[in-house]
Amino acid sequence: MSPTAVLYVAQAFHGLAYGMLLFLVASGLTMIFGMMGILNIAHASFFMLAGYFCYTVMTLTGNFWLALLIAPVVAGIFGILTERFLLRTVHVQGHLAELLITVGIMMVILEGVKAGWGTESMIVKIPRSLDGLISIAGLTYPIYRLFIIGLSIVILGFMALILFKTRLGKIVRAAVSDADMVSALGINTPLVFMLVFGIGTWLAGVAGAVAGPLLTVFPGMADQMGLDAFVVVVVGGFGSLFGAFVVALFLGELNAYGIQFIPRLAPVLMFAFMAIVLSFKPMGLFGERE
Amino acid sequence: MRNSLHKWILGVAGVIILAIFPRLAGIYYTNVFLGFATFALYAVTLNLQLGYMGVLSFGHAMFFGTGAYATALALTHIQGFPLLPAVLVGGLAGGLLALILSPLLVRVSGTAFAMLTLAFGQLIFVLALKFREVTGGEDGIGGFRVPPLNIPGMVSIDMTNQINFYYFAVAVIVVCLFILWFYTKTPFGTLVVGIRDNAMRIDYLGFKLPQTRAVNLIVCGTFAGIAGAVHALLQKLVSTVGVLDIQTSFEPIMMAYIGGVGSFFGPIIGSGVLRLLEDLVIRFTERIGLVNGAIFILVVLYGPTGIVGLFHSAKAKWFHKEKVS
Amino acid sequence: MNILETKGLYHDFSGLQVLFGVDLQVQEGERHAVIGPNGAGKTTLFNVITGTYQPSRGQVYFKGKEITGAKPHELTRLGMGRSFQITSTFNRLTTFQNIRLAILSKKAIRFQLFRKVDKMQDITRETDEVLKRINLDRERDLPAGMLSYGKHRSLEISLALATDPDLIMLDEPTAGMSRDETHHAVELIRRLTEGKTVVIIEHDMDVIFSLADRITVLHYGQILASGPPAEIKQNQAVKDAYLGELEV
Repeated sequence: MSPTAVLYVAQAFHGLAYGMLLFLVASGLTMIFGMMGILNIAHASFFMLAGYFCYTVMTLTGNFWLALLIAPVVAGIFGILTERFLLRTVHVQGHLAELLITVGIMMVILEGVKAGWGTESMIVKIPRSLDGLISIAGLTYPIYRLFIIGLSIVILGFMALILFKTRLGKIVRAAVSDADMVSALGINTPLVFMLVFGIGTWLAGVAGAVAGPLLTVFPGMADQMGLDAFVVVVVGGFGSLFGAFVVALFLGELNAYGIQFIPRLAPVLMFAFMAIVLSFKPMGLFGERE
Repeated sequence: MRNSLHKWILGVAGVIILAIFPRLAGIYYTNVFLGFATFALYAVTLNLQLGYMGVLSFGHAMFFGTGAYATALALTHIQGFPLLPAVLVGGLAGGLLALILSPLLVRVSGTAFAMLTLAFGQLIFVLALKFREVTGGEDGIGGFRVPPLNIPGMVSIDMTNQINFYYFAVAVIVVCLFILWFYTKTPFGTLVVGIRDNAMRIDYLGFKLPQTRAVNLIVCGTFAGIAGAVHALLQKLVSTVGVLDIQTSFEPIMMAYIGGVGSFFGPIIGSGVLRLLEDLVIRFTERIGLVNGAIFILVVLYGPTGIVGLFHSAKAKWFHKEKVS
Repeated sequence: MNILETKGLYHDFSGLQVLFGVDLQVQEGERHAVIGPNGAGKTTLFNVITGTYQPSRGQVYFKGKEITGAKPHELTRLGMGRSFQITSTFNRLTTFQNIRLAILSKKAIRFQLFRKVDKMQDITRETDEVLKRINLDRERDLPAGMLSYGKHRSLEISLALATDPDLIMLDEPTAGMSRDETHHAVELIRRLTEGKTVVIIEHDMDVIFSLADRITVLHYGQILASGPPAEIKQNQAVKDAYLGELEV
């Protein structure tokens, strides 16, 4: 294969890996919005939190797989606590207050990690089993990126299974679509809310734990991912998993190619696109809920 | 009647305190005060969107920062650019930005508006970072001197003297605050609050919703730009972090909430409280953001009416007690 | 002259057809009631006429001019007023401030930035007069959200009337009201709409028969019958649709 073709394909995989991570983060965000009407400004903060916990567990135990297991769960627990004690309390005040509380949470988590781990970038080493390059069809590609793609697919497949093939999944999907109706049917919506919020943050945590070796763990880790996730949710449609999937992959590729070929304009394009979509279709391209 | 007299006394006392403050407090605290005053104005403009019109702007720093950059650029590139126009050009830049963005911003409200302003705010932040030739990127623009205040035919007041600059800056800010206060008392001001309570009904009463929203946005943008201009003159350095970043967009929101979103003076009180708090906290830890964030969460949870709200409730209870006994 | 007229009005919501060719005619100065079972399309008809929706087909004429698809604020300026089935006032503003907004609009004071509104004595006077006329002068400084239900509905209707429109569209003005409150509301409506044209959606038959000059019956998005109350009472098709509900 010619060198440029190699470059294009490599970029495509980079984009896919990032797009998958992005979808992990954005899927939770869009489900939370669809169901609770809250745009969780702090969502990417849970992504970052898991990255830090992954680093700590790795440092303590040297075992990446253990870190990968524990860190997202911790993030998920923080998520559940947040929902139960902060969001639920402020719910009566309306959407504005909910939005603002998530802003406060974002700030607290950001400053909290700085206080707990310092402001330096933390290097998380790729475990030996996943390190190095692999040769496929004449291309060499980092194994870890393929791992990211693979893991994301497995997790998302698992989530899809639960969502579409189980009763719980049906309840969650119904709640995302119309929480009031589900409540009227006698289902314990507060519990469902807490569950979905916890799972959403857990998903973000998985992405964060896995992204650590890739992006390095530092206080600004949440910024890029956070904004991208908003763009995905906004453009893909509030509450639409399909929309989030499409836009996440698209954005991943756009970033990969954009950074490669038009570094100056890439972020501008993204925001411009989001601004245009929001102005004319406030519910996003595939969204249904207001 | 008594109320009116009270207000006059407060006003006069305020003016006297402002006038003798530098002599009392010294240079360091004078500058701290100016920082508070600048952000007080900035927070008031944010509150005109949030508390008065009911929309949450996550990108308000774009007006503040654009104003700051405009002033810095004018003073750096144009020899002998005078003082007052330097401040006004900041306001003009902020207002112009608001005007350009208004066709898109007035079509949405609620979460969509928050997201849109976040997007634009970040967009402008990134643009400022990337176009280093103009903005100096992360390093920013610095080293410009504050021009003297020239009253033609009369006197030229040196503004590198911190005391003189204090009086000038305070005068500018007080005038702006007065204009904005008056603005809320006009029929148009009532209209803006109406939009907060029931935008649909405003439409049905015969008012043009998009245009009204746009005017409010432009007013907020202009005066936020002026706040930015004063900030630039105060700091003598303008860089992306500190005038255009997300933190700068969140601060006025915090100030408005702590002080009380429902009132005009709330954000001013909030700005003061936050400054005092930061000055206090920084003696113990660098992580002021953590304390701020925690306080903000507590305020939203338990005291959403802010300090002014608490004051009103206390006053109501006190008067009730008076009447009863 | 017909102050309001619709010709072949169709409207659907993403495929769900609600109006099937409505030809409504309202004469100037009359009190016209629109009745029909729930889901008949009454509020949708209102929404199409007052500019909330644009009809998928058909035209609307107001004072002889076509206004199909015009925006609500345009219609208000042309002389149409509308009240809502679900009370929609400025709840954090006082009763006085609520009405004042309508008065400001009536006087076309929309972008006034140079005077203190509290000092505009003619506005204040006029607003107080309106408050007196609608019996809300004692609740003048009470936030609208704290009004009792009946008084809140009164404010709702009055907001529509305060811009002094020639045609007033009232959507179930007495919804949720007690017997007494309904009585007062009807009296208020009759008093305040002297010489104006009123189109009113109602379910309360007492209200309809005491107010209406003409009645239009809407059924599954189509006009079943239209005429004076006596005629409608006798109409067999209407009786069938309502299963004798018109017995008062």
